Amino acid sequence: MKLINKFIEIWKNSNLTFKIGFIILFLHIIVAITGPFWAPYHYAQMGVGKPLTGMSWAYPFGVDNLGRDVFSRVIHGSHMVISLSLLGTFIGLLIGAFTGLFSAYIGGWVDEIIQRINEALISIPFLVLGLLAILAAGPNLSGEPLLMSLAVAIVYAPRISRISRSAALDVITRDYVLVAKLRGENAFSIIWREILPNTSGTLLVEFAIRAGFAPILIGSFGYLGFGIRPPFPEWGSMINDNRNLIYMSPITVVGPAFALTSLVVSLNLFTEGLARTLGKSNKLID
Amino acid sequence: MHYINLILKRIFSSFFTLLIVSALIYGVLEILPGDVATRILGRAATPESLVILRAELGLDEPALNRYFSWLYNIFQGDFGNAMTSKRPIIDVLGPKIFNTMVLSGFAFLLYLPMAFITALVQAANKNRQIDNILSIVTLVILSLPDFIIGTIFLILFVVFIPILPVVSLVGEYTNFWEWVKALIMPAVTLALIMSVYAVRMLRDNLIEVLDSDYVLMARLKGLPKYKVLIKHALPNAITPTLNVTALNLGFLIGGVVIVEKVFTYPGFGSLLVDSIKFRDLPLVEATILIAAAFYVFANLLTDILSILFNPKLRKE
Repeated sequence: MKLINKFIEIWKNSNLTFKIGFIILFLHIIVAITGPFWAPYHYAQMGVGKPLTGMSWAYPFGVDNLGRDVFSRVIHGSHMVISLSLLGTFIGLLIGAFTGLFSAYIGGWVDEIIQRINEALISIPFLVLGLLAILAAGPNLSGEPLLMSLAVAIVYAPRISRISRSAALDVITRDYVLVAKLRGENAFSIIWREILPNTSGTLLVEFAIRAGFAPILIGSFGYLGFGIRPPFPEWGSMINDNRNLIYMSPITVVGPAFALTSLVVSLNLFTEGLARTLGKSNKLID
Repeated sequence: MHYINLILKRIFSSFFTLLIVSALIYGVLEILPGDVATRILGRAATPESLVILRAELGLDEPALNRYFSWLYNIFQGDFGNAMTSKRPIIDVLGPKIFNTMVLSGFAFLLYLPMAFITALVQAANKNRQIDNILSIVTLVILSLPDFIIGTIFLILFVVFIPILPVVSLVGEYTNFWEWVKALIMPAVTLALIMSVYAVRMLRDNLIEVLDSDYVLMARLKGLPKYKVLIKHALPNAITPTLNVTALNLGFLIGGVVIVEKVFTYPGFGSLLVDSIKFRDLPLVEATILIAAAFYVFANLLTDILSILFNPKLRKE
């Protein structure tokens, strides 16, 4: 109840950016959860309509060259993209937060080594690092949906690790950490019970921002041809696959592009609007 | 003389980072469990072809020896041979890097006016209608994936208004106008991606500076608004924006990979993606190492510039 009241308060004070972003984002989440139950066709069902007939009421996003309904594929893709993005960001957060907090607490040469490796990983451009991870996974794993999440996690982990380390360095000098040390608690328990709760704000913000970018990352893998193996639907791969149909039936490209665009734009409008609303009235922040 | 030490330290640590990058790339691709030959040949590998490939790659040697001889050769300027084309990697890379430099140079020329003019207009009209509209436009472009911006351009200027080529292939025999035509869409896309970050940064910095006392002073002394903006506000807001520009240089590589693929432009980014697609490991290692080196040196350059331009750091 308290949460709902707080949300209503934010909503009343919020600007248009926040409202638009929130409504579209909400629709996306609803579609991602319920989509597989009401999508007109299965994502791999071929020959449901005449290929490349363009937009129509029966096939809003057209029919691709194999006769699959692009709209149904986009709907199923929503489920896929959002769950893989959240999973990947979560794994990245786990690895990043663990190595970051650990390295901040232990310090010394362990810290030095972990930070050097992070720095090296960050200096490989993030898209390239993801592709490297996919290549290293080898031919047997390529195209697995879970590999996308792992690639996202590997891209995010060093970045989150660096940020959680600097957040933890702030906390470590506090008295309650010293007290816990003097009580004789071990490193793991201090990290878990003292440092983690006090850095969770930073980590949550990191998670929100990174999760918003994950669909783009997964889409980029797909667009470059390293995505989920067909016939699994994923928006980036669909744009890549339907690229050759761009003259005959541009809607087969525009459809998935619209889905991805509306998701990431609404996410950004939402976070930007939220930041402005919270910044405007400080009383909303506890 | 302290700042020279600082700079030397930064240079040294950059090289050290690159050394770790090289070890990571090599380690991940060649030493990780699972056989390199299987990774290259994929699922279609037969036992005979695996044996032949292993001998060809010198995989019988211990991994560490192979890594050090690879590294040693790179210091001699030799990246080895590409596996798919059997040509020296340097020869393969050269023209592609040249193409990419032409593309990013063109994009950079477009980027400067796009970023600065938009930010100046926004800062001068802070919180008015035009500022709000431009803010939303930049936010939307910022959140669009690179390949979707490219695809939108393709649909607009190739499918609906057919004035530009769908593939931007350039080579030895392309004349100047064909070059320009091929470059327009990829360069505009790249410039757009880079400038939206800078616009947001520069707008906020400009507004912050415009609130300061010395700008108020200049206004009170009777200087016209645009003069205050250009003479007083801009120079003070530029330093943080330079940082964004350098960050953009690092970001450029990721953007280049996508943009070159969208428009089929034969540059470094396309080469990188193709080498991964064909599992051409020596080429993958070389291209990723060069991409990382580019990023590291872009960062090093900003650090050095900010050390040189920051009087506080210099005196310290």
